[in-house]
Amino acid sequence: MSAFGKIIDAVVPVERNEIVRSGSSRSYGYLRLRLDEPIPVLPGQFAMLKAHGIHEPLLRRAMAFYRQERMGEKLDVEFIYQILGRGTQELAKLAPGDKVDFLGSLGNTYDINFAAGREASHEALLVAGGVGSPAVFMLAEELLKREIPTRLFLGGASHGDLCGLNDFTALLGKERIACATVDGSYGEQGFVTAPLERQLKALAGKPAVIYSCGPDPMLHAVAKLADAYEVPAQLSLEAPMGCGFGVCVGCAVAVKHDCPANSSESFVYKKVCTDGPVFWSKELHW
Amino acid sequence: MTNATNSQLEVEIAGVRFNNPVWTASGTCGYGLDMAELIDLNKLGGICTKGLSAKPMRGNAPWRIVETHGGMLNAIGLQNIGARAFVADKLPELRKYDTRIVPNVFGYTIEEYIEAIQILEEGEGIHAYELNISCPNVKAGGESFANDARQAAAVTEAVKKAASRPVIVKMSPNVTDVAAVARAVESAGADALSLINTAVGMAIDINTRRPRLANKTGGLSGPAIKPIAVRCVFQASRAVKIPLVGIGGIATTEDALEFIIAGASAIQVGTANFYDPSASMKIVDGLADYCQRNGLKSINELVGSVVVD
Ligand SMILES: Cc1cc2nc3c(=O)[nH]c(=O)nc-3n(C[C@H](O)[C@H](O)[C@H](O)COP(=O)(O)OP(=O)(O)OC[C@H]3O[C@@H](n4cnc5c(N)ncnc54)[C@H](O)[C@@H]3O)c2cc1C
Ligand SMILES: Cc1cc2nc3c(=O)[nH]c(=O)nc-3n(C[C@H](O)[C@H](O)[C@H](O)COP(=O)(O)O)c2cc1C
Repeated sequence: MSAFGKIIDAVVPVERNEIVRSGSSRSYGYLRLRLDEPIPVLPGQFAMLKAHGIHEPLLRRAMAFYRQERMGEKLDVEFIYQILGRGTQELAKLAPGDKVDFLGSLGNTYDINFAAGREASHEALLVAGGVGSPAVFMLAEELLKREIPTRLFLGGASHGDLCGLNDFTALLGKERIACATVDGSYGEQGFVTAPLERQLKALAGKPAVIYSCGPDPMLHAVAKLADAYEVPAQLSLEAPMGCGFGVCVGCAVAVKHDCPANSSESFVYKKVCTDGPVFWSKELHW
Repeated sequence: MTNATNSQLEVEIAGVRFNNPVWTASGTCGYGLDMAELIDLNKLGGICTKGLSAKPMRGNAPWRIVETHGGMLNAIGLQNIGARAFVADKLPELRKYDTRIVPNVFGYTIEEYIEAIQILEEGEGIHAYELNISCPNVKAGGESFANDARQAAAVTEAVKKAASRPVIVKMSPNVTDVAAVARAVESAGADALSLINTAVGMAIDINTRRPRLANKTGGLSGPAIKPIAVRCVFQASRAVKIPLVGIGGIATTEDALEFIIAGASAIQVGTANFYDPSASMKIVDGLADYCQRNGLKSINELVGSVVVD
């Protein structure tokens, strides 16, 4: 049924759940789960998670896969979640051996073939803000595997909000990562779109593609830059989700519509969960 | 395991035989096929589709859903592919399953209901219709059909004339006297009632002071509304003779049993599909178990068995 891989609904054990606090007083959980069934997990895909056995809150929370590791017959999957409201507060209480309701893999993936290009490969510019960065880690791995030149632009409120910075550095090397923090505690001070714009200028028309995930205002800024420099961009969106697999239609996003001649509708609502979460920025009716 | 042809669980509603009394509720299982990867559709008694209108609908602007305590508010705005696309693109695949297909139908005028029904009449493999009458009647001041016994009866009567298949009318809890509306709809020819639809609610963001839903208000569903739903089923069962289908916060076997004992011949699982997609499967097994343990030959023995002195 699903266009990408397989969906399982399983109760799975927690392998690790580390809570860290950033200088901006946000908190994050680094969660590792063990799946009995090694389902395919693609860059950009997500799972719906909930601490098992709790009644409140009801709904599972959408979390992007950060990393995966095959463990013999099993598969370990990792997430980084920001502790915000009731659902993530319950996740933060989990200890190794506790159980999680897991539904995944959900959603689509990035168009990596586009970066590979038909003749020469494009330069891939990954742009991530805060807890959007987990959604591009496996993408970076895949791009490297396919020898596509890749740079990461990582932004956050403070040093500790650059989620996964150490892992990204180990993967890409320091010289391919540009960081920006609002408080200036790491990298340059300000928004991540500043170093991104410098790179877009430096490209001077060389083929490139942007892949981005982060808070809405950042995605809007990225889409604007992509437009201005005529670089195609894929954005991984967030929306409040009821189910994650397409039935509640809660996570609507307005997408441009090639409207029939006699129709006044210039957009339709698509579902972030099954039509996305990754969309070309040009498609979005913002 | 898969094919629950356990005759203990068979129920008949409006002349249609259902393998068991567990259905999925409108708007919580897509067009049925959307759940096929997660549950065995053959094991469901019935499937109520997302509300279908004569023409496709775009739906409301986001935000469309907000989680509340024990439930959620939704204002999806009845986004759907339209009755024609359902018949052409979904029905041929859906009718391969051994379950009963109950398209949920709505309109903003009586004519729109009829138009949608006429399109669905051409579809093969439909067992009954469920009428969502909680929509505003734009020709009568925008008040919901469901809130006024006369309007509810009028749309029921018109649809009954156009439909060759049984018509189940879905009641709203947003009325003072559910029994009065139930009686009016029964007199107008309804073959069965399903109840309840969502309860109108609202949530406000205290920081922005704006409603959390773009539509301002939305429909409350989930465990939070279960006691209201059980009460509605109980009151309706005292008011009418036609069969009832219970809906509202059902997530477990115990929830389902409560509705059946209150007077429902079948039940629908709604919001629970979102956070526990296999809830309906567990309830089918749980009901069979309950019959076994309590020496019931048929689940029907339980319907309306509530003891009141
Ligand atoms: C495809 C996808 C992937 C995601 N990946 C990650 C991830 O890797 N790491 C991570 O930390 N978060 C991720 N999110 C966001 C995450 O799902 C929400 O932050 C989470 O649901 C909030 O739950 P809560 O119980 O903490 O907060 P709630 O109590 O539900 O809400 C707290 C606040 O957050 C707002 N909110 C709730 N849900 C969302 C949402 N989906 N998007 C934006 N605002 C929301 C609420 O309005 C409220 O103001 C992802 C979301 C999607 C749709
Ligand atoms: C997201 C969502 C969409 C719904 N869409 C419809 C619909 O299109 N037509 C309808 O008659 N009821 C619709 N309902 C109402 C449900 O079918 C059901 O009556 C209600 O949610 C109460 O049951 P529950 O508490 O088990 O969810 C919808 C409910 C939800 C949560």
